[in-house]
Amino acid sequence: MFLSRSSRRRAVAISAALAAVSLGVAGCGKSTASGSSSKVLKLWHYEAADSAMGVAWNQAIKEFEQKHPGVTVRFEQKTFEQLEKTAPMVLNSSDAPDILEYNKGDATAGLLAKQGLLTDLSGAVAQYGWDKKITGNIAATSRYTNGVMGSGPWYGIPDYGEYGMVYYNKDMFAKYGVKVPTTFAEFTAAMDTFVKAGVTPLASAGAEYPAQQYLYNLALSKADQNWVNQYQIAGKADFKDAAWTGAATTLADWVKKGYIAKDSVSQKATDMGNAFESGKSPMMVSGSWWYGTFESEIKGFAWDTFLWPGNKLVPGSGGNLWVIPKNSKNAALAEDFIDITLQPDIQALLANKGAVPVAANASDITDPKAKELVQNFQTLQASNGLAYYPDWPVPGFYDNLTAATQDLMNGKSPDSVLSGLQSAYNQGLSQ
Amino acid sequence: MATSTADPIDDRPAPRPPAPTGARRRRGGHAVLAGFILLAVFMIAPFAIVVMNAVKSKSDYAAHGPLALPHGIDFGNVKTFWNLVDFGHVLMNSVLISGCVALCAVLLSVLNAFALGIGRVRGRTWILLAFLIANLLPQEGLVYPLYWLAKQTNMYDSKLTVIIVFTVIQSAFGTYLLSSVLSAFPREILEAARMDGAGKWRLLWQVVVPVSRPTLVVLMTFFFIWTWNEFLLPLILLVSNENQTVPVALGVAQGEHIVDVTMQAASGLLGIVPAVVFFLIFQRTLTRGVTVGAVK
Amino acid sequence: MALPLVPGRRRNPDRGYPFFLIPAAVLFTAVIAVPFVMNVGLSFTKWQGVGPLHWIGLGNYQRLWHDRTFWAAFEHNVAIVIAMALIPTALGLVVATALFDYIGKRFGPRTASVLRACVYLPQVMPLAVMGVVWGWILAPGDGVLNSALRDIGLGSLGHDWLGDPHTALYTVMAILVWIQLGFPVVVFMAGLQRTDPALNEAAELDGAGWWRRFWHVVVPQIRPEIYVVLLMCTIAALKAFAPIYVLTRGGPGISTDIPSYYSYQNFFEKTQVGYGAAIATVLTLLTLTVTTAFIIVQNRHQDQER
Repeated sequence: MFLSRSSRRRAVAISAALAAVSLGVAGCGKSTASGSSSKVLKLWHYEAADSAMGVAWNQAIKEFEQKHPGVTVRFEQKTFEQLEKTAPMVLNSSDAPDILEYNKGDATAGLLAKQGLLTDLSGAVAQYGWDKKITGNIAATSRYTNGVMGSGPWYGIPDYGEYGMVYYNKDMFAKYGVKVPTTFAEFTAAMDTFVKAGVTPLASAGAEYPAQQYLYNLALSKADQNWVNQYQIAGKADFKDAAWTGAATTLADWVKKGYIAKDSVSQKATDMGNAFESGKSPMMVSGSWWYGTFESEIKGFAWDTFLWPGNKLVPGSGGNLWVIPKNSKNAALAEDFIDITLQPDIQALLANKGAVPVAANASDITDPKAKELVQNFQTLQASNGLAYYPDWPVPGFYDNLTAATQDLMNGKSPDSVLSGLQSAYNQGLSQ
Repeated sequence: MATSTADPIDDRPAPRPPAPTGARRRRGGHAVLAGFILLAVFMIAPFAIVVMNAVKSKSDYAAHGPLALPHGIDFGNVKTFWNLVDFGHVLMNSVLISGCVALCAVLLSVLNAFALGIGRVRGRTWILLAFLIANLLPQEGLVYPLYWLAKQTNMYDSKLTVIIVFTVIQSAFGTYLLSSVLSAFPREILEAARMDGAGKWRLLWQVVVPVSRPTLVVLMTFFFIWTWNEFLLPLILLVSNENQTVPVALGVAQGEHIVDVTMQAASGLLGIVPAVVFFLIFQRTLTRGVTVGAVK
Repeated sequence: MALPLVPGRRRNPDRGYPFFLIPAAVLFTAVIAVPFVMNVGLSFTKWQGVGPLHWIGLGNYQRLWHDRTFWAAFEHNVAIVIAMALIPTALGLVVATALFDYIGKRFGPRTASVLRACVYLPQVMPLAVMGVVWGWILAPGDGVLNSALRDIGLGSLGHDWLGDPHTALYTVMAILVWIQLGFPVVVFMAGLQRTDPALNEAAELDGAGWWRRFWHVVVPQIRPEIYVVLLMCTIAALKAFAPIYVLTRGGPGISTDIPSYYSYQNFFEKTQVGYGAAIATVLTLLTLTVTTAFIIVQNRHQDQER
C-alpha cells in the first residue's frame, strides 16, 4: 500500500547520496595543512592584483623566491573585511600565516600587539636599518606601547604612505575660469564661482568616510601638532574647542551654500569617486588611494591635485603594515621579505603605479605625475604634517563620526552633534 | 487537508470552470496577468542592472556611470574575478556545504517533526521553543563561542563544522514548519497504517514523508539558498582560501577605501546564477505537486 | 497462565516517539545550547575578543538600561517587523492565492511558476550586491527612481531617499518588502497544494466571490503555513542586521539603527564583545518571549479547531 516502486528507488538514492556526501565531507573536512617542510612562506594580503601594492608585492614575491631557492611563497588573496573581522581569531590559532598585511592603528595592530599576538620587530628594525627609511609620523603607526601608537617596540612595517588632497578637474577649472586656489579664501571663492554656474563644486559622500574627512580637514585648518596628539594619542579631545566648533559650523554652512550637495548624505565613497570620474564634480577631497585608479580610469578629461589650501596638517599616515604573527613558523624569512619590499626597485614600482612609497629614490620615479605625488608627501612628512584619521582614537568611532556628519548635513545643530561625539569619545576611551 | 481524497494537482491543465460571462471575465483575467507581469518586472529590474554593470568595462563605468547601457560587452571583470578567487573551487565548496546542509537539515527536521507533530510527545511546545532558539539567537552572539569550541575540538577551518552548525540552525525552521503542518495530518491515514501493522519507522518513511513531499522540497530549497547566502559564520569559521564560500569571495571587490564596482557586479552575477539554477530545478518538482508518491 | 490480550493496549502507540528527537538534541546542545550559555557568560564580562576576560557582573546590563541608542533602535525594529513580517505575509497570501488559484488555472501552471520564480528572485541576491544596486536606484539626482519621477512630471517628489531622516526608514521598509515577499509566496503556494480543491469549487458553485472564498475557504486551510511564515519573518526581522549594514549602516544619524546592528557594531567594530553579548542576550530573550506568546496562541487556535 505504501511505497510505489519509484519512490522506494528514490528513497534508496537519497540515502546513498547522503552517505556519499558525508563520506566526502569527512574526507575533505579538515584541510591537512601540510607543514611538511618549513620551506613554505605563508603570506596573506588583501590588495587587488592590479593595484600598485598588488603589482609591487607580486614582484617582491618573485625576487624573494629567487633569493631563497628552497622556499616557496604560498600567497592567499584575502578580503579586507575578512582580515578586519577575523585577524585576532586567526592569529590566535595554529592557522596563522607567516606574514600578513594588517591595518594600522590602536584598534587593530595595537590591540594585537598588546595581546602578544604579534612578533616584536625591534631587533630586525635595527639589523636592517628600517628606521632610517620609516621616520616621523610614518613610524608612529608601527610602534605601540601597551596598544597605544606613537612609541615603544616596532610591531609592523609600512611600505607606503597615504595623505589627503584635493583632486580637481582641469578642464572644468578652465571652462569656468577658475585658478588653482592657494589660500582658504581663494578656495571658497573658487567654489562660489562653481555654485553660481550651477555646478556643485565638491564631490562628497555622507554614508562613509569622505564627509568625515571634510570635517577633519576643516578642524585641522585651526589645529597644530599638539592638538593632533591630544586628540589622537592622549585621549584628551575637547569637541567644544575652536577647531571642532569651527569645523562643524563651516561644514553645515558649506552644505547650505551648496558647496557640498545636501543629498550626498546617503552616498558612499564609490558614488563620490564616480561623480568625479564622470566629470560631474570639479573637485573631490580624499586620500591618495584614489590616485592609481584615476590614472587608469579617467580618459575623458585632464586632472591634477593640490593640497587643501592653507592647511599645514592633512589627514594621512603610513599605510597598512606588514606584521609577523607570534605563531609564524618562519619569522626570519618573513623579515627578509619585508626588507625586499623596502628595496628601491619595489618602492619605485609602487610609485610608478600611483602609490606613495616610503623609501623610493626620487631618480627612479619616471612618471611625472607620480613624482609630484611623492614630492607633496615628502614635504608633508618633513613638516610632520600627517594628522592620521579622525576615526582612530576610539574603536568604532567611525560609525559615530558618520552619524554625526550626516546629522550636520541634515541641519542638526553643531552644538548637539559635537556633544554627542564627545560622549561617544569618552565612552570609548573608558572601555 | 484530506490529501488522500483530494484531487491531485498536476501538470494536466486543470479543468476550467465554466466562464459565467465569457468575454468580460477573460478581459479581467488579462488585467490580473498584466498586473502580475508588472510585479515581476519590478522584482527583477535590479537584476537587470547587475547584469548590465557586470559586462561593462571599468572605463565605460567611470565615464557613464552605473545606469547607462554598456557600450559593448566586456567579460573582463567576470574573468578577472573568476581567476582571482579560483571561483570554480569556491563554487564547489559552496555547493558541497549548501547541499549537505539542505539534505541533513531536512532529515533532522523530519525526525523532529515526526515526534512533535505526529507523536505529539509531552511538552512538545517547550521542546519546539528550545529548538527555535537556534533560529532566534543572533548569529553575532554565536561567533566567539563557536570559534572557541571549534578550536578546542580541532575543527576550526573545517567545512564539516559549518555544515553541522547550519544543519542545526536551519532545522529549527524546518522542525517548526513541519510539526505545524504534520499536527494537521489526517488521523485516519495514520490509523489505517497502524491497523496494517506499520511501525513508527515505516509510518514515517512510507506515509508521512511521501505525503509531505512538497513541503520537504520547499524546505530543501530554502535551506540550500539560505546556507548559500550565509556570510558571517563562514567568514569566521573558514580561514583558508581552500575552504572559502561564494559570499565570502564576493568581498574581494571591496577594498579598504575603494569598491571595484564593476567587479562587484560581475562577482554578484556569478554568485546569483548557481542559486537561481538550483531554485529553477526544484521549482519543477514543486509544480509536479503531491501526485508523485501520494497515498492512493 | 495465559496473558490477557487487550488489543491496542499491548503497545502504547505514543511511546517511542521521543527517540526521534535524540539526534537533534545532541547536535542542538553542542552547536546552540552551549554557545548560548557561553554568550550569556560573556555578557557579564568586559572583553576585547582576545586576551583576558574581566568579570564585571551586571555592568553591561546597567549600561544597556541607560543606553538611549539601544532603546531608539528598538522603536525602529517595530517598523522592520511590519516591513518584513506583516506586509509580506498579507501581500504574499494574496499573491500566492492569485497565482495558484487564478493565474495557474487560467493561464497554465507554467505561467504561475515563472511568475513565482520572479517574485522569489530577490531572496537569492547577495546582500552586498543588493546594497549597491539599491544605492543606484535610489541615488539622489539621477538615480532610477528620481529620474522616473521626473519623467512622469513628479520631479518635485524626488530626493535623497536614504539620506533624509524622514524617509530613510520608510525606504528601507520598502526594500525589505521587496526582499522578503518571495518567501511567503513560495511557502503558501506549497501549502495550497495540500488543500482540497473540492471545498473551493463547492463554495464557487454556491456563488461565493473570489474574495469570500479566499477569506473563508483558502486562508483557514493553510493556517499552519501562515503561522509559520508570520513567526519566522518576525524572528528574521528582529535579527535583520545585514540589510541595514549594506543599505544605511543605521544612518542618517541613527534613524535606521536597530538592536541587531547595534550588537554587531559592538562585537566587531567597537570590539566591546561583552557589551555586544549583553545586547544579543537581551535581544534573544525578547525574541523568545514574542515567540513563546505566539506559539501558545497558535496552539490554542489549533486545539480549538480540532
